[in-house]
Amino acid sequence: MGGGAMEQPVTVAIIEDHPVVTEGVTSWIRSDPGQRVRLVQMARDLTGLHAGPPADVVILDLELSGELVTAQIPGLVAAGHRVVAFSGHSDPAIVMETLDNGAHAFVSKEEGRDHLVEAVLAAAADRPYVTRSQARAMLADQRPARPGLSEQERQALLLWFQGMSKASVGRRMSISENTVRQYISRARAKYAATGRPAPSKDALLARAIEDGVIKPGEIVPYQSFARAGTGSSSLGTPGR
Amino acid sequence: MTAIQPAAMMSGRYQRAFTIAVVFLVGVWHVAGAGGQLLHNRSAYGSFGFQVAMWLVMALAIIAGSVLVLRGEPGWRPAWAVAVIALAASTAAAVASPAGQMLAVNWAWGSAGWIGVLVLLRRRFTELACFLAAEAMAVLGVQAWDGLNRTALAGFLATLAWSTGAQVAVAAGVRALDVAADQAATAARSEHAARERAATAEIIRAARQARWLALQENAVPLVAELAAGTADPGDAQVRIRCAVQAARLRRLLAEGDEVPGPLVHELHASADVAERRGIAVEIETAGQLPPVPGPARRVITDAAIAILTAARSRARITLAAVAAGIAVSFVADTGAVVPLPAADEGVAIEQQQDGGMLWAEARWNSR
Repeated sequence: MGGGAMEQPVTVAIIEDHPVVTEGVTSWIRSDPGQRVRLVQMARDLTGLHAGPPADVVILDLELSGELVTAQIPGLVAAGHRVVAFSGHSDPAIVMETLDNGAHAFVSKEEGRDHLVEAVLAAAADRPYVTRSQARAMLADQRPARPGLSEQERQALLLWFQGMSKASVGRRMSISENTVRQYISRARAKYAATGRPAPSKDALLARAIEDGVIKPGEIVPYQSFARAGTGSSSLGTPGR
Repeated sequence: MTAIQPAAMMSGRYQRAFTIAVVFLVGVWHVAGAGGQLLHNRSAYGSFGFQVAMWLVMALAIIAGSVLVLRGEPGWRPAWAVAVIALAASTAAAVASPAGQMLAVNWAWGSAGWIGVLVLLRRRFTELACFLAAEAMAVLGVQAWDGLNRTALAGFLATLAWSTGAQVAVAAGVRALDVAADQAATAARSEHAARERAATAEIIRAARQARWLALQENAVPLVAELAAGTADPGDAQVRIRCAVQAARLRRLLAEGDEVPGPLVHELHASADVAERRGIAVEIETAGQLPPVPGPARRVITDAAIAILTAARSRARITLAAVAAGIAVSFVADTGAVVPLPAADEGVAIEQQQDGGMLWAEARWNSR
């Protein structure tokens, strides 16, 4: 996902109050073989951000000086930032609130090493990136206004959450790894079509439509309970 | 559920007391008020026997209405049946009264109104208003038939004001008391729930504290060794110890505030055993997990033990709520397929080996 041969590295700003975490993130960025990401700004709180040049993506620790800052995400998004939340709180309710407020992706601190750089690259391209903690929150979602996921999308999310690699999920479901990515991305895109409006969600959706991940007709603002579990798609994907 | 019952019972007890008070009031009125007036004017009626018969019909209506309201809130059919009988009997009594002094000797109007209050007490207020208006129109109609002069109209209005006024006041008062009782019950209920939550939180806190202390015994010395340089991070053994302690710490932090079900608890216990062998185990849950019966839990924990025993360095256990039950899955670096218990007790088990990683899922369906 993301990546590819990019001429310019993606610029990133990090808002994090613990220097040791910033240190860790920096080392992950440095050890990326393609050097695809460049850290251009470090801030210890939200006020420190606006001083420097705008970065492509902002990595936001959801807890700054002991306070949860999920409510500040809409402001950041409205100011044109792409936000990747990075947090020790992987409680599904917090993850959902983060996405609903317009963050591109959620990465828990345990997932940072394997997923943070990839999530940043995906966000820079307005592409969905679904970590296991995000899949967990989507599976646990019982809000009445949740989007309707197809049986296939649900199964792919479940196997991914359980800890399989995407290639293994594909073998399990007798579909290609690419189709697994597509199911998971489509589920995420459906979430971008629900809840509080945000420019970042529009960008994610537009890109998903452009990439053929989702068709405009599949975007249903919310699901009635009667529709749950139906509606397997006809996107011309191989396999079942 | 259990938290709601005491409060509902409490509110119900108060409401029953108000109902009994109204039954008592209506009974006393009919016997002492209406009955007294009937006896006092016994010589004035054309047929005293007919008036007594109507009085008895209304007494029976009061008994029937009392039984209805004491057994619970009556539906509109039985409630209105009693009300209409009272209206008919009182109108018949009025019609049979001597012309010209109907209002003076009328004992039935008040009783009929009180019967309406009794049976329509907890129904919509407009129903009672309609009934009282119908009763008043019936009396006025009989009076108009007899001839409506200024004195008769003044008498009608005076009786209407005090009798119907009192009835409306009692009905409104009971309604206000109902609301107050309900509010008191709601307050008691939330207090009860808060107490229950506090007790649960205390149990969880104590369990967490115990695990935290156990963690201190192992993690703190390890960190101290690393800091002092006596443990070498380059040593594979030290790295395994770090991975295990990190997994434990994460599990401790990941625990939700809700009471973990027995299945989660049992899996934690299996994980603790595996950790002593140096296996880093993560446990995560997704969604509201349904309770799993004991025999099915045993099948699942047997699978967990088999997989954790075969794991070489790490394992991830997840519990997810699915359509009709729960999916417990295991991903571990077992290097080979693991003999797992046969499907039993509604638990279906599947596994797939991919490279060195094993994926297995035990799915329990409630139906």
